[in-house]
Amino acid sequence: MKQTFGEKCFQVANYVFLTAAALTMILPLLHLLAVSLSSPVAADSKEVFLWPVGFTMASWKHILQSTGLWQSFGVTVFITVAGTALSMLFSVLTAFPLSRKEFLIRKQVMLGIVITMIFNAPMIPFFLTVRELGMMNSIWALIIPGVIGTFNMVILRTFFMNLPKELDDTARIDGCHDFRILFQIYMPLSKPVLATVSLFYAVGYWNTFQRAVLFVRDPDLWPLQMKLRAYLTSPEELAQVNMFLDDYDFNTTTLKAATILFASVPIILVYPYLQKYFVKGSLLGSLKE
Amino acid sequence: MAELTETPARQPGVTVGKRVKEGYLRNMRKHWMLYVMILPGILFYIIFKYIPLGGSVIAFQNFQIMKGIWSSPWVGLDNFKFIFTYQDFYHVLRNTALIALYKLVFGFPAPILLALLFNEVRKMLAKRFLQSLFYLPHFLSWVVVGGIVFEVLASGGFVNAVRGWFGFEPILYMQQEQYFRPIVVLSSIWKEVGWGTIIYLAAISGVDPTQYEAAVMDGANKWKQAIYITLPALFPTILILFLLNIGNFLELGFDQVYNLLTPMTYSVGDIIETYVYRSGVLQGQYSVTTAIGLFQSVIGFILLWVFNRLAKKTGEGLW
Repeated sequence: MKQTFGEKCFQVANYVFLTAAALTMILPLLHLLAVSLSSPVAADSKEVFLWPVGFTMASWKHILQSTGLWQSFGVTVFITVAGTALSMLFSVLTAFPLSRKEFLIRKQVMLGIVITMIFNAPMIPFFLTVRELGMMNSIWALIIPGVIGTFNMVILRTFFMNLPKELDDTARIDGCHDFRILFQIYMPLSKPVLATVSLFYAVGYWNTFQRAVLFVRDPDLWPLQMKLRAYLTSPEELAQVNMFLDDYDFNTTTLKAATILFASVPIILVYPYLQKYFVKGSLLGSLKE
Repeated sequence: MAELTETPARQPGVTVGKRVKEGYLRNMRKHWMLYVMILPGILFYIIFKYIPLGGSVIAFQNFQIMKGIWSSPWVGLDNFKFIFTYQDFYHVLRNTALIALYKLVFGFPAPILLALLFNEVRKMLAKRFLQSLFYLPHFLSWVVVGGIVFEVLASGGFVNAVRGWFGFEPILYMQQEQYFRPIVVLSSIWKEVGWGTIIYLAAISGVDPTQYEAAVMDGANKWKQAIYITLPALFPTILILFLLNIGNFLELGFDQVYNLLTPMTYSVGDIIETYVYRSGVLQGQYSVTTAIGLFQSVIGFILLWVFNRLAKKTGEGLW
């Protein structure tokens, strides 16, 4: 179809606008990367834009060798791996009965769950409950109180409901019980949605912050985001170095940049591989009955 | 095989109520595994959702941590009376409401507009590439995004560098009250706008293409097509998302504001969630801050209820 002059103008303007806006999504990260690899003098005089000036790996070496980041990194890796596994288990076990007509109380249970979406408990009673359970200053406080994400669970349920009914009729005739139907028939057929929901959970655990602020006072148990926050608010702590060595090739500016990136690197690395899944997966979650 | 033969043949003479009752028991016996499966999930919702919800009664108590919820004295509405005469409360409520309003007015339409623009990108490769860039910030934590915001707006950061080229003095954005709310709104748009388009783009792709063809035959240009076909097609989605949004109107997200707030900006940026954290969790004023939290939930529910009624008049509501 032939375009009018106005349409062509719009097309061009649209591309320019979208490209410019999209660049703002990635440029800050590239800028931080350049800063983290630059000499402190260049970083502070703001000569650095997207390319390192006075290239040096000193900041990265420092944060990887001399700060407590690895400790937090370990906590975060643990809660991400263990949390995602537990979340998937809990969510699948909850979603499966809720997806089945034979489960007579599914409407009532679903209502009970939806109510918790509308009425959020205030922060303090939630905090007190977790404390009463003896979870203060424990890594489990970062996992268990949020182990089921209702939205993620509903995504799984919707997917299960849309699997053909004939599948489990046949399985049942062959003598399968519900656990086998779930684990040997439904789960293998649900790989894409399982991957998507796992990704959502994993990102959530990687980025855990509020629960850490509420429940974890011991810095040794801080997840990465908490440590990062501490370093961003008092970078001097981060720069603390062995005073017997002289002339460092980093300062708080370059260290901050490196730390911010350090906390996002895994997400940025896996992002390109996973993005085709999450769009599809999040659409499966559109609530329909 | 036993299960198959067990399946009850509906008996004509049995009353409905009785049949249902028997149905539940029989159903439980037959599908006990389903009930076992869901047990952990139900326990989770009871322990971490319903017990805290019930624990909100401490808003009507003078809750003392040593006595616990069962023996703390009841004070009726005293805590609520107190917060309504309390300067800080109005302060925090005002900040919360204003930021929520700005987010609704500017943040809510942003992904709709972006989806409409994306819809005009005809080259699939370019579209996918642009979209992936837009989705990225959604996956970063607010601590990271907060760090980026501070860095970009620092005295020597990118924004001030650009101002410098034109000979302007640098501005300390993060430390000045008047910039705090715009920064909160802009940074949340930046982080979530791309992610928000997903559902709208799906709705757009569900529109029957013959509608556009017919419109073109009638001489409708792109603009008219967007106004008269795409937007109306999006309307149900917009409505549902709006309702979901309005129910959490005053819940702005602790992570974001906490990570952008500095003592210099408390006066304009301290919201209910950050305030409750500071004086509730840190200073132990459990009852008063629970009253504030309960107040927030009730407002959210009232808004949801009102807007749901309005929505039902124009189309579908949430319930």
